[in-house]
Amino acid sequence: MSILDRSGQPARSLTTRLFEPPAIGRMAPGSKFIVYSLLIFWAAFVLFPIYWVLITSFKLPIDVNRGPVFLPWVDFTPSLHAWRELFIIDYEDTLKAYFNSIVIALSSTTLCVLIGSMAAYALARIQYRPKLGTILLFVGSMAAAFVVVGRFGVDWRLSVAVALAVFYFLARALRRRFKVSVANGDILFWMISQRILSPIVVVVPIYMMFQSVRLLDTQIAIILTYSVVNLPIVVWLMYDFFTSIPIDLEESAQLDGATRITTFREIVLPLSKAGLAATTLLVMIFSWNEYLLALFLSTSRAQTMPILVAAMNAGERGILWWSMSVVIIVMIIPVVLMALVLQRFIAKGVLLGAVKG
Amino acid sequence: MNGKQEANGGERTAGAAAKRLSIRDLNKSFGAVHVVKDLNLDVEPGEFLVLLGPSGCGKTTALRMIAGLEEADSGSIHIGDTDVTRILPKYRDVAMVFQSYALYPHKTVADNIGFPLKVRGVAEAARAEAVRDAAAQVQMETLLERYPRQLSGGQRQRVALARAIIRRPAAFLMDEPLSNLDAKLRGYMRAELKHMQHELGVTTIYVTHDQIEAMTLANRVAIIDQGVLQQLGTPRDVYGNPANLFVAGFMGSPPMNLVEGAIQNDRFQSQGVDIPLSGQDFAGAATLGFRPEDAKVVGAGEGLFDGRVYTAELTGEQTLVTIRMGEATMSIKMPKGYDVDFDSEVGVRFGSEQGFLFDTQTGGRIEARVVAAS
Amino acid sequence: MTAVSGRSDNARPGLLAPAGATAGLPFRVRFSEWLDQQSRQLFITPAVVMILVFSIFPLVASLIIAFSRIRLRGGSYQVTFVGFRNFNKQFFGSEQFHFLGTFRGISLLGWIVILAAAAGILWWLYRYTTTSFTKFGFVGRLITASLGFGLALLLGATFFSGHPFGTLVITLFYVVFGCAVQFAIGLGLAFLCAQPIKGRTFFRVVFFVPLMVTPIGVGYAFRMMADTTKGPFSPLWQWVGLGDFAWATNAWAARIFIVVGDSWQWIPFIFVILLAALENVPRDFVEAGQVDGASGWQIFREITWPTILPVAVTVTLIRVIEAFKIVDLPNIMTSGGPGIATESMTLHSFFSWRALDLGQSAAIAYLLLFITVVSCVSFFNLVVLGRIRQT
Repeated sequence: MSILDRSGQPARSLTTRLFEPPAIGRMAPGSKFIVYSLLIFWAAFVLFPIYWVLITSFKLPIDVNRGPVFLPWVDFTPSLHAWRELFIIDYEDTLKAYFNSIVIALSSTTLCVLIGSMAAYALARIQYRPKLGTILLFVGSMAAAFVVVGRFGVDWRLSVAVALAVFYFLARALRRRFKVSVANGDILFWMISQRILSPIVVVVPIYMMFQSVRLLDTQIAIILTYSVVNLPIVVWLMYDFFTSIPIDLEESAQLDGATRITTFREIVLPLSKAGLAATTLLVMIFSWNEYLLALFLSTSRAQTMPILVAAMNAGERGILWWSMSVVIIVMIIPVVLMALVLQRFIAKGVLLGAVKG
Repeated sequence: MNGKQEANGGERTAGAAAKRLSIRDLNKSFGAVHVVKDLNLDVEPGEFLVLLGPSGCGKTTALRMIAGLEEADSGSIHIGDTDVTRILPKYRDVAMVFQSYALYPHKTVADNIGFPLKVRGVAEAARAEAVRDAAAQVQMETLLERYPRQLSGGQRQRVALARAIIRRPAAFLMDEPLSNLDAKLRGYMRAELKHMQHELGVTTIYVTHDQIEAMTLANRVAIIDQGVLQQLGTPRDVYGNPANLFVAGFMGSPPMNLVEGAIQNDRFQSQGVDIPLSGQDFAGAATLGFRPEDAKVVGAGEGLFDGRVYTAELTGEQTLVTIRMGEATMSIKMPKGYDVDFDSEVGVRFGSEQGFLFDTQTGGRIEARVVAAS
Repeated sequence: MTAVSGRSDNARPGLLAPAGATAGLPFRVRFSEWLDQQSRQLFITPAVVMILVFSIFPLVASLIIAFSRIRLRGGSYQVTFVGFRNFNKQFFGSEQFHFLGTFRGISLLGWIVILAAAAGILWWLYRYTTTSFTKFGFVGRLITASLGFGLALLLGATFFSGHPFGTLVITLFYVVFGCAVQFAIGLGLAFLCAQPIKGRTFFRVVFFVPLMVTPIGVGYAFRMMADTTKGPFSPLWQWVGLGDFAWATNAWAARIFIVVGDSWQWIPFIFVILLAALENVPRDFVEAGQVDGASGWQIFREITWPTILPVAVTVTLIRVIEAFKIVDLPNIMTSGGPGIATESMTLHSFFSWRALDLGQSAAIAYLLLFITVVSCVSFFNLVVLGRIRQT
């Protein structure tokens, strides 16, 4: 038996009143308080380091070194000293890095999204049945080429060319013998699984490769590398997006006389705007912020912003916190602006599709 | 209006002339499933042919093979004098209306209708003119700047039709184009579709699982089951003279009543049934069929056989009486004023031209008739 | 028109263009037709070639380097094949302390852990053989089991016996501990943001920001945070009496601080996707539960969690893959120190490269790759496929 109060309602304890929802879909004041405090706490945790970097960029070295000061105009006098140093005195290096970063991020994202969506579309809509035998033959001939280079010191270009020729003729001759073939799903898995590769596994050969074609420390080298590193993300996200487009639309276009390329350009891409936006944003963030590969592949001319950040760690003289903060802030601004513009695509759960498992 | 169109499409009239479409021994399998088996069809120029069958019977696959969206395993497809079996969809000169309409959501109505001409490189001005004409034909000329999402189901349907019309193709292929509309609109669009096809005189193949659509639209109906053509004929023919058990059981609403039994010594016998037959000699398991509207409920002992009333439902225009006789259940349509007590013993009577006999094993017709006592 | 030419559209391999379909048409039209016929290859070749050249070729080359000693000589490389020497050095040689850890006898606790792990693994294998058994599955489980036991042995001999461990265990610590923390907090935040409250969009945008900051910036920012004398929290440290405590000199404090930085950066990723998944849970389900009088926790456990589980598993897998590559944060925040206490395997490999020991560098990178692949495949097979088999 529940105890009834004077109005005949069950007496509601304080906990019930605070935490029992008054109606379905509404929140009790107690729960609301807890939810808001947790959210605000986390917002503070997220924003504080950025705030600290921001105010550090307006500090003089002395303000940094004398211990923590928090509020501009109250604790310390904000100064544009670090900004002036980077954008007026040393503007050449800063602008070069900024320009490099922009060029590299934009080009590699464009290249990567273009190539990746083409492959994703092909895998979503065209049946591929490459023979397993042909693939093994290719791997075998390449391995043979490597062994020949390693053991006998033959020039690698000659060796690879011969191996490719041998592969081509053997593949033509043996084509009918191969029975087992792989399907689109296998190719898709192969492409996506490339993301498992840690850059450190491949960066040394890539370094040597670019060195041998004299492309080291150029934007092209970094653009190409970033494109490949991010390709799995594009293929994954866009494959999922393309398969969700009704195939009727493409078949109708084909009957109407459109070529596959026209269909892709006129029908498929415009319908994938949301997916493309989310993918572009993600890839752009990754290439804009990447450090390790850029460190390997650039020395001076092709330096990007993350390298410039690291360069503010001036060894003997300690870290130039104020300048470094400036660089970090100018790196964050464009990405945040872009993310705000594209925010609704992320919020819509566009990224969700691909991870549905 | 017609004259103007003629002048307009002058250089494209080759495609506008109605063409014969013939299909020979067409086969298609998906893995182990044989979806279309030895299909043979001849569609006359300007004819409206309906492929009718339950879902999954292979009718859509047959249509898609004609369009070129699926490849035939064997057999041939001719449009006019051209063998198109191994030719890409876009060279076949056919237009297709999809069940989903397949309107491009990011293009306006005008751009949707004009798309077939755009990809063929027709100049902007000529295209706009053609779009206006095609839109006028489906009464959509005032909504050209809208997007598909701003249109009602019926309007989308019209845009899809206009996009098919604009090319003046050798044949229209339609895959259940009305099934996404509500019942009322469907009846209206059906009439409009029929009228338009008649006006344009384009050979049309229309796929549906709705027998009313088939009966009302078609010049001829092809009934397909499990990939095999069951019967090809005029709607009247298919309904009034079913070639086999499947067609008998598929057509009509409610479908033909079927009583399983056996024929022995020129008599059809089943539980409580013993009817004399005339015509083809046959012995073995057989099924007797008759249409609900052809039979009458009469007093016990006055008909061909007796049964017990299970229910009687007034549907408005008539009374549908369900009668149980042993294992079998049958429906009979009686006038709306008719009334009968549940569980009462009644007789069932129909004329000798109205009873059909089928071989239960093969499903084929037996050319025998019921000898009906007056 | 009846004759058919031999040109085939590769997208529909059996179907052709009719002979002369484009004859006499302008070049532009004929070219686009030709392009259309090549579209099958055209669409996928660039991606395949890019991956072959920049991913597969380096992978193979790296494997060769891992089995060689490389010397720079007059601008070119001299490659000497040395067999397993690079790997031997990591497992048994002079680099053992660096990769695996220091072995100085196993304590009682260590033995208990090892024996318990062995018993657990044997029981797991035994149960598999008695319930469902396929040869392929058994071999796979044997690989997972032996690696698991190896890890237990390693942990027993180092961590549980009080001896320092190497980059392998440190990397696994970042992956397991870091991902667990990030998943828990990410899920919690997503759950909070899915509540019917005002200002959800604001929190969503704010919480997403860390993902957009360059990892190296995160590293330096957290280095400032951790500074107990000049950092923003220094008054707090002094008040607690830890004013002269240096994070970077205490192994565990340094490791945890790196996980904090890593979490700050990556929780947004898990948060955004789980939030979308939570918002995709059909309202009917939840409302039906509420009408039936289920408590909040019951609704979460019985309705919400099973619905978002597939997304949760996949997002964890993605995060685990990326976590194995951790390098920027330890490099910036502690340079791997104190000693090697915070050095991840990628950083280990990077340091070897900086010391111009390319063979070692490649060998460590390959070990990392091997561990990543085995972990991810085990995770995928046991968790993802296991869940599919259950349903």
